[in-house]
Amino acid sequence: MKFRTRLLIAFGVVVLIPLLVFGLGIRTAMSRRVAGEYGDRVNALVEVIQGDLTREEDRISGRLRAVKERMVADNHLRSAVLRGDDRTYILDFAGEAMRLAGLDFLQIQDGESRVVSSGHFRNEFDRVGAFALPGGVTLIRAATAEGPFLVLARPDTVRIAGQFFDLVGGIAVDSAYLARLAPDPQFGVALQVGSDSTLASSSDSAGYVVSKTPLPYVDAVDEPKSIKLAHIVVTNRLTLLAALQSNVNLWFAVAILVAALASLILAAWLSTRISEPVEARIGDMERRIAIGDLARQVNHDVKNGLAPLRNVFRHLTQVARDTPDELPQVFTERQGTVESSINYLETLAANYAKLSPVSERKSTDVNAVVRETIGGSTLVKAKLADQLPPVSADALVLRRIVENLVSNAVDSLDGKSGSVTVTTEQGRNLVRIAVSDTGRGMSKAELDRAFDDFYTTKTGGTGLGLSIVRRLVLDSSGSLNVQTEPGKGSTFIVEIPAQ
Amino acid sequence: MLAGTACAHPRVGVTPSTGGAPREVSDESCLLSTGDVSGHAATITIGLTDSVDPRHAPLPRNDAERLVFRHLYERPIRIDCDGHAHPELADKWDREDGGRRWTFRLRDNAQFWDGVPLTAQDVVFGKGGAGYTLSAPENRVVAVALAKAQDDVPTALGDLGLAVTKPAPDSSWPIGTGTYWATSTTTSAKEIRAHTPRGDTLVFKLAASGDARDLLDAGVDLLVTRDRALRDYAATLQNHTVVALPWDRTYVYVTAEAGATRFDGLEQSVRVEARRAEGGFWWLDLKACGLGTQSAQASSPPVSTGQKRILYTRTDPTARELAGRLAALTHAVATGRAPDDFRDALGSGKDWGYVVALPRVTADVCRAAKDLLPTWPATFTALVDTRATAIVRRGVARWVVDQDGTVHLLPE
Repeated sequence: MKFRTRLLIAFGVVVLIPLLVFGLGIRTAMSRRVAGEYGDRVNALVEVIQGDLTREEDRISGRLRAVKERMVADNHLRSAVLRGDDRTYILDFAGEAMRLAGLDFLQIQDGESRVVSSGHFRNEFDRVGAFALPGGVTLIRAATAEGPFLVLARPDTVRIAGQFFDLVGGIAVDSAYLARLAPDPQFGVALQVGSDSTLASSSDSAGYVVSKTPLPYVDAVDEPKSIKLAHIVVTNRLTLLAALQSNVNLWFAVAILVAALASLILAAWLSTRISEPVEARIGDMERRIAIGDLARQVNHDVKNGLAPLRNVFRHLTQVARDTPDELPQVFTERQGTVESSINYLETLAANYAKLSPVSERKSTDVNAVVRETIGGSTLVKAKLADQLPPVSADALVLRRIVENLVSNAVDSLDGKSGSVTVTTEQGRNLVRIAVSDTGRGMSKAELDRAFDDFYTTKTGGTGLGLSIVRRLVLDSSGSLNVQTEPGKGSTFIVEIPAQ
Repeated sequence: MLAGTACAHPRVGVTPSTGGAPREVSDESCLLSTGDVSGHAATITIGLTDSVDPRHAPLPRNDAERLVFRHLYERPIRIDCDGHAHPELADKWDREDGGRRWTFRLRDNAQFWDGVPLTAQDVVFGKGGAGYTLSAPENRVVAVALAKAQDDVPTALGDLGLAVTKPAPDSSWPIGTGTYWATSTTTSAKEIRAHTPRGDTLVFKLAASGDARDLLDAGVDLLVTRDRALRDYAATLQNHTVVALPWDRTYVYVTAEAGATRFDGLEQSVRVEARRAEGGFWWLDLKACGLGTQSAQASSPPVSTGQKRILYTRTDPTARELAGRLAALTHAVATGRAPDDFRDALGSGKDWGYVVALPRVTADVCRAAKDLLPTWPATFTALVDTRATAIVRRGVARWVVDQDGTVHLLPE
C-alpha cells in the first residue's frame, strides 16, 4: 500500500469518526426533542378529549334537568299518571321529551323499575327491571327496535303526583361521535370493555394507547344486571412522529454524507500535499542508498583486485631484500597473478563505465546490428524481417542491448541443449526485437528483481546487465517487456520507435 | 267530532242478488255521513298522504293508490261495505246450472278512455283464479264457471285483480274504463288531475311539505288518513266531518316458529287507531284455493340463522311500531325493508319473523293469498286491526265505502 493511500485512510479515519460521533449526538438530541414535543402535544389533546367528555356529561345532566322540569310541569302527564286515562300520552312522552331535549336516549321507569316510557324505543314499555345503573355517567349498551346502540347516560329521579320515577337520559356514542372527539387523524378514540373487546371506535386502524379513562358499563341487552368497567381509550397512530424522525434521519444521513465527502476530498488534498515532498525525499534516500551500495561494491571489488597485487608486491620486496638473485625467477612466477589482477580491475572498470554510457542517436538498421552482434554463432538463430524501417538510436547502444540480452539468453541454457532466437519485426511505428531462449526461465520473485542493479543469479555475474539494458532502452525512447516461465524459457521484447 | 259509516262489519261472499237483473241494493248504508249535498261540484279535490305510482295500477300498494285507482279503473262488479254486489262494468248477471255458472253482461256504454268499446275478452283475457274460470261466450258476456255451486253472486268478480286496463302507448297510466281518466300530461309531482268526458274533474293533491294538515287548510274535499294527530286536527275544523272507516287491515305476525303466540300491549304500541285483531281470518282456511293448511303450503323449510330479526315494510309506520314491540317482547331486532325487498324476504322465509299487513276482507281470497302470503309453512298470529279515517268536507259530494274500505264518489 502506498504511503499516499495510507495517509488518505488515516486522514479519513481521523476526520470521519469525530464527525460521525458528533452527528449521532445531534441526531439523538433532535429525536428526543421531537419525541418530547410530540408527547406534549399528545398529552394536550388527551386533556382536550377528556375535557370534552366532562362537558358532555354536564350537558346530559342539564338536559335531563330540563326533561324533569317539563315532566313536573306537564298537567296532562300528571293526569295520565294519576288516572291512567291516557296511556298513549305517557308512552309518547319520552320520545317527545327526548327529541326536544336533544338527547338520543331517554327512559322513564316507575318505582318497580318498569319501563313506563321510552324515547329511543317507544314500544319497550312494561319491561321490568330494565338494567342496573350506578350513580354518575355510565356507558350503556341499550336496546332499540332496530338493534342495540351505545349511549353515554346518567340517571335522575323525578316525583310526579306522589310517585317517583327514575329517568335515564343520554347521548348516542358511535364512531362518528368518537371521531368528533378526536378530529386529529393521528388520534383515535375507542370504547373498550376488558382488554380486547372494542365496542366502538373512531377509526379502524389501531394505534399506540396513550390514555385509558375508566367508566362503568352496563350491557342492558344481554347482561342487564351486571355492571362492568369500560375504558375510553385514546390511541395515537404515531405516524406523524415516525415521519418526523424519518425526516431527521434522512437529513442526518445527507449531512453525514456531505461532510464525509468533503472530509475525504480534504484528506486527499492534504495527503497529496504531504506525500509529494516525502516521497521525493524517500526517492533521494533510496538513490543515496543505491550509490552507497555501489560505492561499497566498488570498494570491495577494487580491494579484491588490489589484494593479490599487494601480496605479489610484498613477496617481490621480500625476495629483493633477502634473495635478490631469485628475483627474476620469482617475478616470472608471479607475473601471471599480477596480470590477472590487472585484467580483473580493467574488466571491473569497463563494467562500471557501462552504467553511464553516452549515446548518439542516428538512423540505425536494426537487422545489421543484430547480424553484427550474433556474428557466426551457431547457437543463436536469427529471424529478421525484410524491409525493416530504420530506428533513431545509437548503434552502439543498440548493440549493447542485444549483446546483453543474447548473452543472458545463452547463459540461461546452463550449457544444456536449447536455442536462442533473435527476431525482428515491424510494428505500428516501431521496430520490435525479441530475444527468446529455451532456458530455465524466471520465477515471479526473480522477475520482480531482474532489473535491479547488482542482482544476479549467475556465478560471477555483476548483476548490472539487465539494469543497464533497461536504462539503455528507456534512453532510446523504447520499451522493454519480458515473458518468462520457469523451466521453459524467457522472451525479452524491445520496442524502439521507427524513424 | 267523530262520525261513523252506517255499514256493519263487511262480510265476504254475501249478496242479495241471485240471478237475472240485479236487485236494486241501496248504497245508503255505506254512505259516509257528511251532510246533505245540494248541488253538483264540477271539481272535487282529494288529498293524498302517500305517493302514487301509475305503474302499480290497477293493484294498489298503499291507501293513496287505492283511492286514485278506485276512481280510474273498474271491475265487473263492486262489493259495498255490507258485502252487497253492485253493477260496475256489468249491469246484470244470471245464475245458471244451479249456481255453478254465472254470466255477467257488460253495460252497453262500457268502453275504454280512448273510445274503444269494451268486450268480454278484455275482461277475461289472462284472468282467472282458484276455484273459478272465466270465459267470454259472447262479445259482451262474461261467464264464470265455479268449482262449487254458489247461491250468491261470486264476489271474486269484484276483486281488484279483475279491474280492466290496457297499456297506453304515450302515458304511464294504463288506459281504463272508469268515468274519470288520467294521463301523464294531467299528472305532476304535486297533483293528479282526472277528468270525465262531461268536464268534471277530480284533483288528487299530494302533501307537498309532508304535512297533511296543509291539505286540510287548503280545503280538500276528502282526505283519508290513519294518522291520529291529523284526525284530531280535522276534528277542530268547522267545515269537515271526521268519519271512522271500517276496520280494513289486520297486521299479522308471520313466523316459522310453531305455535301461536300471544302478545300484549299491541294496540298501545301503534299510533294509528287499532284494536285487538278480531274475526274469522280468511288466511286461516285456504283449502278452497288448493293451498290447504299452513303445513300443506310448504315448498321448502325456511331457515333462520344468526340474530333473531323481525322484518317489516319500511314505508308502513304501523308495521314498524308493531315490529318494534315484538322485538321488545322477544329480544329480537326489527329491521325495515323496502316493499319489494320485504316481499322477496317474506317469500324466502329466512328471517325470524315478519309483520305483514293483510286486508281484513278480500273479494278473491286465493289471489290475495297468492300475492300476500308466503308459501313456506308459517304460523300466523293476528296482532291488531287498524282502520283509516275519512275527513270529508260537508255538503260537497256523496262518498261511499266499499267492502275493502276504499272510499269513492257514489256513482251517479
